[in-house]
Amino acid sequence: MPLIPSGLLQGRDRLALLRNAALFVPAYMALDWASYIYPLGPFYITPWNPQPALAVVLVMLGGSTNFIAVFAAIVLADLAIRGAPVGYAISIAGSLLLALGYSGIALALRRLVRDTGLRVLHDLAIFTVVVALGTAVVGLAYMGLLQATDQLAGTSFLRGWVRFWIGDLVGIVVTAPLLLAAADAGRRQMLLAMVRSPEAWLQVAMLVAMVWTMFAMYRENAARLFYLLFIPLIWTSLRWGMPGAIVAATIAQVGVLAGMESRSTILPILELQALVAAFTITGLFLGVTLDERRASDERLRQSLRLAAAGEMAGAIAHELNQPLTALAAYGESAQKLLDTGGDPALTREVLQKMLQDVKRTGEVTRRLRELFRSGTTQLEPVAASELLATARRIGENVIRAAPVRLEIGNGDGLPALYIDRVQVELVLRNLLANSVESLQASKTPDPVVRVALEALPPEMMLLSVSDNGPGISAAMRSRLFQPFATGKAVGMGMGLAVSRAIAEAHGGSLDAADGPHAVFRLVLPCLPSA
Amino acid sequence: MPSERLTVYIIDDDPSVRDSLSLRLGIDGYRTALFADAEAFLAALEPGWAGCVVADLKLPGSSGLELQHELQRRGVRMPVVIITAHGDIDSARAAFQAKAIDFLPKPFETAQLLEAVHAAFEREDRRLQGEEARRDEHSRLARLTAREREVLDRVAEGLHAKEIAAALGISPRTVEVHKARIMEKLDARNVAELVRFVVRGSGAPES
Repeated sequence: MPLIPSGLLQGRDRLALLRNAALFVPAYMALDWASYIYPLGPFYITPWNPQPALAVVLVMLGGSTNFIAVFAAIVLADLAIRGAPVGYAISIAGSLLLALGYSGIALALRRLVRDTGLRVLHDLAIFTVVVALGTAVVGLAYMGLLQATDQLAGTSFLRGWVRFWIGDLVGIVVTAPLLLAAADAGRRQMLLAMVRSPEAWLQVAMLVAMVWTMFAMYRENAARLFYLLFIPLIWTSLRWGMPGAIVAATIAQVGVLAGMESRSTILPILELQALVAAFTITGLFLGVTLDERRASDERLRQSLRLAAAGEMAGAIAHELNQPLTALAAYGESAQKLLDTGGDPALTREVLQKMLQDVKRTGEVTRRLRELFRSGTTQLEPVAASELLATARRIGENVIRAAPVRLEIGNGDGLPALYIDRVQVELVLRNLLANSVESLQASKTPDPVVRVALEALPPEMMLLSVSDNGPGISAAMRSRLFQPFATGKAVGMGMGLAVSRAIAEAHGGSLDAADGPHAVFRLVLPCLPSA
Repeated sequence: MPSERLTVYIIDDDPSVRDSLSLRLGIDGYRTALFADAEAFLAALEPGWAGCVVADLKLPGSSGLELQHELQRRGVRMPVVIITAHGDIDSARAAFQAKAIDFLPKPFETAQLLEAVHAAFEREDRRLQGEEARRDEHSRLARLTAREREVLDRVAEGLHAKEIAAALGISPRTVEVHKARIMEKLDARNVAELVRFVVRGSGAPES
């Protein structure tokens, strides 16, 4: 083992640290400079303090080795922006205290938060509590240092502490989620999607209008109309989840600061900032709740999609087993015929039949390959008439010798569908088999199954499968689409749940209409009609 | 060669499966009849049919299991072999509970099916022989006169000629004559065989 001093880092790590520091220190100083407004005396204490968010996120994502950069940035900022008004010794001591405090908050978060994207309620709750408690403790220590060194000069300790606390809390709570989202690939995607969405711009415009109204209506007490901001906040958070809340909070914060700057009169700055903190926390919790719900919806859809794949694999295995059974029997027959000197013409005929079944097997494996091309829905244009022809083929296949009439609608003049052929065939097979089975079970006289296709402009198509059987009871209809609901002795009872999952994976739907007879309505996307 | 009077009834919705199994069984001398679903088979079914039913589990319309139950309900005693491409434990259990002779998941080796059909035919043969024997005994019993039947019943109860004579109010000598005629008509060699006839013949013959 080569002796490497344990404190030394690998070259690459050191380089990353230097790069982080080179970006972080100027950014920290710039933010400190920009937010050095309405200070309490000559101190670091301001009602908006976003730069600790930078420090917290750097240490949270980069680890404790970034402490040096944090400390350096705080010292340099105090020197450059405020000229170390309390003297170098106390300035450095204060900076060390702040650097330790912010790093402490960051390390606590690094330890307790599972996903830095703050995607679940648990993570967001921990983030909020740690930041709220952490900034209170840091503020207490900082004020303690100022008091111990007799620097407060008439400012009340309590007032200074509350101001420090609100400033840091609102700074971190508004800015850190934004930075964390920017560092997270999934969140970045969502933020980019928002930039491209007209709805998001409308939401931003509404927020800006509300902030403007707030300051324009009550020059002296803008906080009176602050509640107006909650309307666009709720809209944005419910629409976009956490990223929406982050954007809304950022705009509200910037708007409040701009409003304050534009007024010469003294505003209740602290009150406004406390409101911004509450506003932001509300929005974040609303957003994360929506995120969690969406994630669990997605998981369910995913598992249904897997079930669909499983069901399809089962169907395909079944179709492989049929020709394999036939091949085995034909093969043995041919062997026997050869062994016993049977008629060569008969042997040739058997071999011919075997080749046909081999072809059929190949057809099934081709479909299997199509099914697992990518494991997901693969949309392609399918002509309406082609889909109806497929429905006829499947219908005839399902009906076989049963005395059920099949009526297939006309696809003339309809646009092409945009669907996954294999998956939609599975749904069709399911629906047609259901109809035929219920007609046979109910012994309906003159049984008919109808398949019809109609356009639902602009981009959807309705495929209905109906029969003249006894229909679906209200009790059955309510649990028809749940997995394992089945009226059949054979089968897994997954058919309709899987069919609906497939329809939804297409951006469509599948439901059973009310009425005396069974009508299943499958909505699928189509190409815009020419 | 399998028995001439037995047939393998193959019920499967897949034409290739039907055709190939029929061919393979045919090569071994089995007679086969093919149906695409349970309904077609039940519609054609006649009381005299004997042999073995080879039914797919999943058929359009009634399933193989439902067919099994329908056959039992109709008192058809042909053994049933269930074949299926969805071989799950539940349906295998259900098939065996309904007295299937075998349950073969597709794809199976034809030898397995031949074995099952062979076993089924042996069972059918035994059943048919038993039925024939019973029918034969019954027809022989039917040849007895009323008086002879009375005498036979008492012989079976273990009465002596004198006791029978007293009970029927005829002479012991006449009883002996009746007994000789009965032995001749039933082709029995001794009293023990006579008794067996009565015990077995008391049930109605099965059709």
